Formats: sequence, structure tokens, C-alpha cells
Amino acid sequence: MDEIRVTIDGKQLSGHPGMTILELARENGIDIPTLCYRPELSLLGACRICVVEVEGSRTLVGSCHTPITPGMVIHTHSPKVLETRKVIVELLLASHCGACFMCDKANICELRQVAAELEVGLPRFEIKKRYYPIEDVSPYIERNLSKCVLCRRCVRACRQIAKRDLFAVAYRGFDAKVVVDSDRALDKEACRDCDICISFCPTGALSKPRKLSEEKKGKPLVITS
Amino acid sequence: MSKVATNPENLLARLKQAQDRLGYLPEECLAEVARSLNMPLSEVYGVATFYSFLSTRPLGRNVIRVCKSLPCYLKNSRMIVESIEDKLGIRPGGTTPDGRFSLALVNCIGACDIAPAMLINHDVHGDLTPRKISRILQSYE
Repeated sequence: MDEIRVTIDGKQLSGHPGMTILELARENGIDIPTLCYRPELSLLGACRICVVEVEGSRTLVGSCHTPITPGMVIHTHSPKVLETRKVIVELLLASHCGACFMCDKANICELRQVAAELEVGLPRFEIKKRYYPIEDVSPYIERNLSKCVLCRRCVRACRQIAKRDLFAVAYRGFDAKVVVDSDRALDKEACRDCDICISFCPTGALSKPRKLSEEKKGKPLVITS
Repeated sequence: MSKVATNPENLLARLKQAQDRLGYLPEECLAEVARSLNMPLSEVYGVATFYSFLSTRPLGRNVIRVCKSLPCYLKNSRMIVESIEDKLGIRPGGTTPDGRFSLALVNCIGACDIAPAMLINHDVHGDLTPRKISRILQSYE
């Protein structure tokens, strides 16, 4: 097979045709942060955290979905790249509900992790946050879309791995949202014994319900000393 | 329901047909389209809610679509919207109780040369001023 030679961060590397910049970089121990990318899922390039600089390219390119071409000169950690990644994470955090201390998945949250790695503190942008009621109808999956960053990993995992195809993205722009059917609370028997989407969710938007919703409702909180 | 109706590529055309026929896209209609194209309802709903010319809620007899894109914005489209809101007593997304008008904000309608502009049904109205608005609205029953 023909090898493709490229330069990443000054290193001469070669990969096979069809390989993405991200794959080649990771294979050679160069770390590029990602959020919407998962090797098991189709390529999307939705979150833009993996952007890199390619010499001669007008814009930064998403490394997770851009194939390598002969002679590419790529910078994965140039000042421009780092600054852009930071702003992207800031923007994601700006509309994210951000109540990490209340979130069960805080310690495994990938958004929080990339924010920490890129040293993003409080976002500079004061914009409206997306708040949605928690969907706790299903005994199998709880959805809190206030924490959703629209990476579409659940949409793809449900379609491509679980083969159930329950989710899609609806509405437009800031109102965009992952929906079930015609924007109904998720309550599908198909979700029994399947928590694939939960394991793919980078944030706390999808989680296993702590209790059945039936139990939760109408029960007083009892504190025993 | 003409032409190779089961090809998923026909989704948008099918939704438009249905909207022209029914005036909006009720849930049963979306479910029917999803079934016949063998697509999940969520996907069909996603497309139906993405396009501002498709509606999942019933609309009035006349649909006012005011452009909210930049050129119109710079020519003070906000004032046009406010003036329509005042005259009809509805906000964007709303329909008058008598079902005469619905109001919506949409992206560029390609009438930047006559900004601020709006569409009522299929008619383009440009170089709008609050005074012009009342006259235009009067001509729609």
C-alpha cells in the first residue's frame, strides 16, 4: 500500500491512505483532545475541539475527520490552535448548566476533563443557559439535557451500535436538542438491558436512574439520625 | 404520495407536500411519513423542526415571516417586528385568536436589497416602515 508522508509537529511521519490526522497523531503518541470523536462511531467533527493547523489551509481543520494527504504540514499545539480550542471549550461551558458539584458523573465527565487540560476557568461569555426538565420516566435511562453538549455520540451509538435508532437532533441553532420521537420524554422498552448511550455520553446528560421515577414521586424525604 | 415515495431522500419533499395540503405537520402525519420512508420518527421530527418554512403547529390563514438576518437587522427589522406585535397582539411563534395571522422570524429570504423585508404567504414586502405595515396587513383577510 502507498504510504502517505506528512509532518506533524516537526516530526516526519507516514500513514496509510484514508487515515485521519488524529489517528496518525495518536498512533505516534501525539495527544489531540477530542470530545465528539469515538473510534467506534462514524466520523462527525461536531465539537471542533480536535482542530489543528494545516499549513496552506485557510481555516483550522478538524483532525478527527480530515484524512491525511501527501506533504501535509500539521501543527497540533501551535498558539493559534490552543487559543481556539480554549474558546471552543469556553463556549461549550457557557451554555452547559455547570453544576459539577451536583453531578454524579463529574469525575468521569469528559467536558470537565478537556476544560481542565486546557486550563479553561470560568467562561467569559455570559449567555443564556439551556435548562430542560429532567426526563426520569424511563426506568432504564435518565436524561438531563441541560448537561448535553450536542456531541451526538448517543445518536450515533444508538443507531450504529445498539441498532435501535431512537435519537435524532431537532430544532435549530441554540434551540437544537437531542429528541426521541416528536420530542417526547424517553420511555422505551427497547432501552431495557441496553445502556450503550449512557456509556457513550461524555457528560452527565445520560445516566442510570437512581430510583424508579414512580418511587420518587410523592414520597417525603425522610431523614433518620 | 407520488413518485418513488419510499426513498429517504424524498423526506423534505414529502414534508413540504404534506404541509401544503394540511397547512402544518401534525404528529400523525410525521409518523405516517416516517413509517413509509422507514425512518425513525425522531429523524423526521428533526427535519420538520429544523426548517422555518415547515411547522409542527397549526398556522393562521396568513403567515408573516419577518427576516431576522443581519442586513435586515441593520435596517432595523426589530422595529418592524415590534410594530407587527403591537398591531396583532402576538409574539413571534404566535397566531392571532381569529386565525388570521401567524408571525414568525426567519433567516434570510433573499430580499436584502429591500431590507427590512418580510414575506406574507408567498408575497415579498420590502423597504418596510411601521406605517407601511398597517396598510399591508389590511390587504390580507
